[in-house]
Amino acid sequence: QRFRFCGDLDCPDWVLAEISTLAKISSVKLKLICAQVLRDLLGEAIEYDKILKLTSDAKLESGDVKATIAVLGFILSSAAKHNVDSESLSSELQQLGLPKAEHASGLCRCYEEKQNPLQDRLRACSLRLSQLGSVRWRVDYTLSSSELQEVNEPVVHLTFNVRDREREKTTAVPVTLSANKLRVLLA
Amino acid sequence: MLLVLSAEQRAHLGCLPRAGGAAVGELGRLALEQLRRGAAPRACETAARKLNVGVDTIQHGVEGLVYLLTESSKLMISEVDFQDSIHVLGFSDELNKSLLQLYLNNRKEIRSILGELAPRLPSYHSLEWRLDVQLASRSLRQQIKAAVTMKLHLNQNEDQTAQVLQTDPATLLHLIQQLEQALGEMKMNHCRRIVRNMK
Repeated sequence: QRFRFCGDLDCPDWVLAEISTLAKISSVKLKLICAQVLRDLLGEAIEYDKILKLTSDAKLESGDVKATIAVLGFILSSAAKHNVDSESLSSELQQLGLPKAEHASGLCRCYEEKQNPLQDRLRACSLRLSQLGSVRWRVDYTLSSSELQEVNEPVVHLTFNVRDREREKTTAVPVTLSANKLRVLLA
Repeated sequence: MLLVLSAEQRAHLGCLPRAGGAAVGELGRLALEQLRRGAAPRACETAARKLNVGVDTIQHGVEGLVYLLTESSKLMISEVDFQDSIHVLGFSDELNKSLLQLYLNNRKEIRSILGELAPRLPSYHSLEWRLDVQLASRSLRQQIKAAVTMKLHLNQNEDQTAQVLQTDPATLLHLIQQLEQALGEMKMNHCRRIVRNMK
């Protein structure tokens, strides 16, 4: 069976297996855990102690807690990745066996609130080789040189600041152009 | 399979019976710590003071024990072989028994430490990909050229490197086909026979 939130593919087996673990947690606590998982997906720090406290009632072992976080992370990020609206997500989760009344609708409400920020964050995380940070320029006027006494030519100095996202380094690439070359560049 | 201990190692371990039962436990603990974390001269000095023996003797004793334990764990020798190997040292039965216990209790851990010492090739960490379609360039307008850009993150001994690769979809499909053929090789008779024999 194909699910939209899995990208029109079958749902992975481990997700199916963990849906029953999700059903063990009460819906109110599930919404709070979702909020924490969303914080992690949006790049803020996750508060693992709070999640441990919330799951302590359902008597989940530590492996189950990690599995819960993993499956919620998968569902939310996958739904954002394939641009699934919260109604379809809710009906698909119910097909997988998540009880409707509170669990599925609670989860989808959390998703709906944060769908746009989540998609923006995923867009920013997409593979990008390098990025232009800023450009600085300066125009000089050469009066004369050792080769020719009267030069009278303008010259442009450009510095491209290229940002490498992973190594968090900015490299400066200086370029000097004559007026004609600059015109060709801008054309 | 018997362990062969050189004369020097026998001399090192020779200090054990003189030091007494409690000392053996202490030296055993020091030997395991040295395997886990490397040499600790200060711990040897405190042990020397506690047991009223010279620091050198303690150090030699620990080194002898480390060699004994690593070689036995490496070769995974049986109890009988271990007992026969240390019999040549001429220790008392009680000492032999405590050495045997030390070996058996820590064999698995020592083997896992030794396993990590093997050299490693860069291993897969993660793969980011991106599908681009080039619509126009400075030289040619109105094109459609698809390209897949990938960044392969590799891990080698805690060093992270990244390799950027770019390919068109047809080459990527060919690559996937070759890799699936390689995986399919596992299902052939030859591989199956070897795997069955290994188990």
